[in-house]
Amino acid sequence: MTAHAGVLCSHCLLHIGPRAMRRTLNGESCAFCCYGCCIAYQVKSGRNEEWEAAWLLIRLGVGGFLSMNIMLFSLLVYTGVDARMLPWIHVLLWAFATPAVVILGEPFLRETWCNITQGRLASSTLIVVSVSAAYLYSVVAVLERSTYVYFDTATMVLMLFTVGRYLEAAGRARAARDLEPLLAAESEYATVVSGRSETRRPVREVSAGILVRVRPGERIPVDGVVVEGESHTDEAVITGESRQVAKAAGSPVIAGSVNLDGPLLIQSSRAGTATRWAQICRSVRDALIRRSPTQRIADRVVGAFVPFVLILGGATALYWGQRLPFDRALLVGLAVLVVACPCAVGLAAPLATSLGIGRLARCGCLVRDPAALEALARARLLAFDKTGTLTSGRARVVAIESDGTAIDEVLARAAGLERHSEHGLAHAIGMTAAARGLEPVIARDVRTVPGRGILGNAKGQPVAAGNGALMHGLGWPLSQGLAELGRSMEARGHSVVYVGWGEQVHAVLSFDDTPLAEARTTIEALRGRGMRVTLLTGDLAQSAQRIAAAVGVRLGDIQAGLSPEAKLTALDRYRQRNEPAAMVGDGLNDALVLARADVGIAVGSATDLARETAAVVLPSHGLWLLPWVVDVARAVRLTIFTNLMWAFGYNLVALTLAVLGLLQPVLAAAVMAGSSILVVVNSLRLERLPDPLPSPMAERSSLDEQSVAHNVALAPVFERGRSTRSAE
Amino acid sequence: MTYYITLFAAGFAGSFHCIGMCGGFACALGRDPHGHGSTVLRHLLYNAGRLTTYCFLGALAGALGQVICTPQGVTVSLLRGSLDAGQRLLAIAAGLLMIGMALQFFGLLQRFHHLAAGFGGSTFVLSLRSLLTARSRAAPLAFGVFNGFLPCPLVYAFVAEAASTAAAFPGFLTMAAFGLGTFPAMLMMGGVGRALAPAWRRRGVWLAGSYILLLGLITLGRGILPIAAHIGHAWPGEYPT
Repeated sequence: MTAHAGVLCSHCLLHIGPRAMRRTLNGESCAFCCYGCCIAYQVKSGRNEEWEAAWLLIRLGVGGFLSMNIMLFSLLVYTGVDARMLPWIHVLLWAFATPAVVILGEPFLRETWCNITQGRLASSTLIVVSVSAAYLYSVVAVLERSTYVYFDTATMVLMLFTVGRYLEAAGRARAARDLEPLLAAESEYATVVSGRSETRRPVREVSAGILVRVRPGERIPVDGVVVEGESHTDEAVITGESRQVAKAAGSPVIAGSVNLDGPLLIQSSRAGTATRWAQICRSVRDALIRRSPTQRIADRVVGAFVPFVLILGGATALYWGQRLPFDRALLVGLAVLVVACPCAVGLAAPLATSLGIGRLARCGCLVRDPAALEALARARLLAFDKTGTLTSGRARVVAIESDGTAIDEVLARAAGLERHSEHGLAHAIGMTAAARGLEPVIARDVRTVPGRGILGNAKGQPVAAGNGALMHGLGWPLSQGLAELGRSMEARGHSVVYVGWGEQVHAVLSFDDTPLAEARTTIEALRGRGMRVTLLTGDLAQSAQRIAAAVGVRLGDIQAGLSPEAKLTALDRYRQRNEPAAMVGDGLNDALVLARADVGIAVGSATDLARETAAVVLPSHGLWLLPWVVDVARAVRLTIFTNLMWAFGYNLVALTLAVLGLLQPVLAAAVMAGSSILVVVNSLRLERLPDPLPSPMAERSSLDEQSVAHNVALAPVFERGRSTRSAE
Repeated sequence: MTYYITLFAAGFAGSFHCIGMCGGFACALGRDPHGHGSTVLRHLLYNAGRLTTYCFLGALAGALGQVICTPQGVTVSLLRGSLDAGQRLLAIAAGLLMIGMALQFFGLLQRFHHLAAGFGGSTFVLSLRSLLTARSRAAPLAFGVFNGFLPCPLVYAFVAEAASTAAAFPGFLTMAAFGLGTFPAMLMMGGVGRALAPAWRRRGVWLAGSYILLLGLITLGRGILPIAAHIGHAWPGEYPT
């Protein structure tokens, strides 16, 4: 909590904004976005026995007591009392109303004053003006012994707005539930074990190599490795998939995942502030603090609205003053002020946005800026990068051509040799051999020839696997047919490895990146949502077309062989034709485009979140979440839109009724309080959005799971493989 | 007047049910270290707060009933002898609600109980505990005000009864009579502490149940029976105008 701009409300986690209040509760300094949150927070965390917390509730209770009594005595007056009693009842009402107005009105007055000193007119100004007008008029009426006083109006308006703010804040806190685990990383404590003692320490003080105990039901505070214990964890916050992962000694665990059923002793592998969870926490906090473009417009409208309503209220009172007695005309004017209080407008966008961001973040999808969410909702064009986005980014054997030798023998010999290599292609050969249940032929005297391949001896014969240059260098003959096949495969953008033994080349293996299992369904789902899908890639046209055909991108929507700058130009061209364009990439070799697109979406990015340029970040293997993310973005936008329509429309209708003198001020206050509660309820509907459909990943074989695990370790090798290829 | 005396008695009988929850609060409010007078003041303030809330709820429910009964928004004198259709419906609804509450006192309709008491009251109660220990003189008053809003089947039953009177003032009087009826027991709880034996409490709950059942049946009868006019005359006829 350093700068004023970066603070979220302690209760509802919305940006505190101009209505900010600060209190010290339970020894912690808390900031609240409004009076309602201040009350609701104290009601929620009622464990405290501190003076200040109780004092607020006492004031509310006493205020309620006084205003309810005023209401009841006014009721007595309305049902008719002796004319001699009337002045005394009025004095009694005055006696009740004065403390009630002071007690209940003080927060509104303070808010108004704070805003006026900053040169703004907040919506609370309307409440203050109307309540003080009703009160002052009634005081004069008591002194002049006239028949009507309006103390009940003054206090009931205050009471209703207070209750309205409380209920609204209580509703908003529900919206914050999804966000709490994500923001907890900064305030979480870890149970640090040193020797026999266990101490609770803030996560930010935990460094690498420290032992941490995590009990069942607790959140794992640090990245690390299990030293002791067995349990299951739920890693949904990080991976986006809510399923139980078994953990035992030696298993890696991720900070932010929930330890489900057994105690674990974990050795942390990095500092508590360097975990992905902590990065997510910072990213979510940043996103919540930013205002969405719609909200900025709405705020500006509210700013102009308040003075307008003040003038309108005055004009209405003057107009009716010529036709009605002064007190009735005043009431009509007050009803105008009260009913026009634009509390709901200020709430329309932030609540929906924070619900959307929380909902997405709970499934591992991060949004850096509310504006990105709105742009994604409007986007009709989605451009995909190919490698690592629609494809796995890992090589796989796609074809084996031999001179008549059995394929299994080729694979067994090649696998025996490649076991000694860490190259990405070598790994692919090993995987294919294992998938066919082959026993690798053991090779000896193995040595690698950098940039060419690998050599060894097996079954008393020299064996080699590598590119054409290696075979050429060895002087091993290559049959015309194999050479031709190899060349055509290379022309199609495949990587090629020749395998030979006994001083002859026997086979050629071609490798390709494979489309992700979920790519086709994802693209179909996006198209079903009315989006145009294109492929922008730096790869060769042939390989782009093959992948496009496999994942279901139309041939006319492919642009291949593009440099990053060319991708940007292509995207700009689309943008001129269409609405905002979104770019989906892996965040590695397309960072420039992701940063400059209207919405940059990074999938499974391994890069540091802090340096991430994309506005939306999906978890690793999270491509399948994309249609759901679009759904959420659209639902958020629709909610903001309906909220604004409701808030403004409601204001407009109610305002018209009030100007026509058809609305009592107390009823107007009830209507207004109801309006903001309706906005909250409408926004909370976002909670009921369906979860993302279960991923097709669950169907993947366990073999593939292993390869995922390996991939983490071998990532640099693949990088090298890919860069050599693109250099070619 | 008989009507309100009946309500007072029902409140008195029902208050033995209150001892379970609100009585606990009254005990917790306890004695004031400043002496006997201060203790009495504390409990009077607490009960005044509670009573105010009840009266307010009664007036509100009555006004709501009036809005339902007169959809045109024109104030109609409700006491013209016969009951109109809207008020009959209201009486039926209130009567059924009261019978439901009463059955629940006898240990039936437990699900109904969860429905009645499940409006997030627990967190509210928790936060109110801070008021019990606060040293301020006004704290018992504030506590009483909030206490009145706590979900309680007994209060619901009487609020329904108040709504069926279909006017703010009789609604207010209904709840006032009920609230005053609960006064003695609650004051006693504050004074004598936990002196009441469990057997007596059970008897109290049965008594409360019977009373509310009877009241519910009569209210229902006002809505259904063709001769309702008689009962209707006998009771609402005595509403002060």
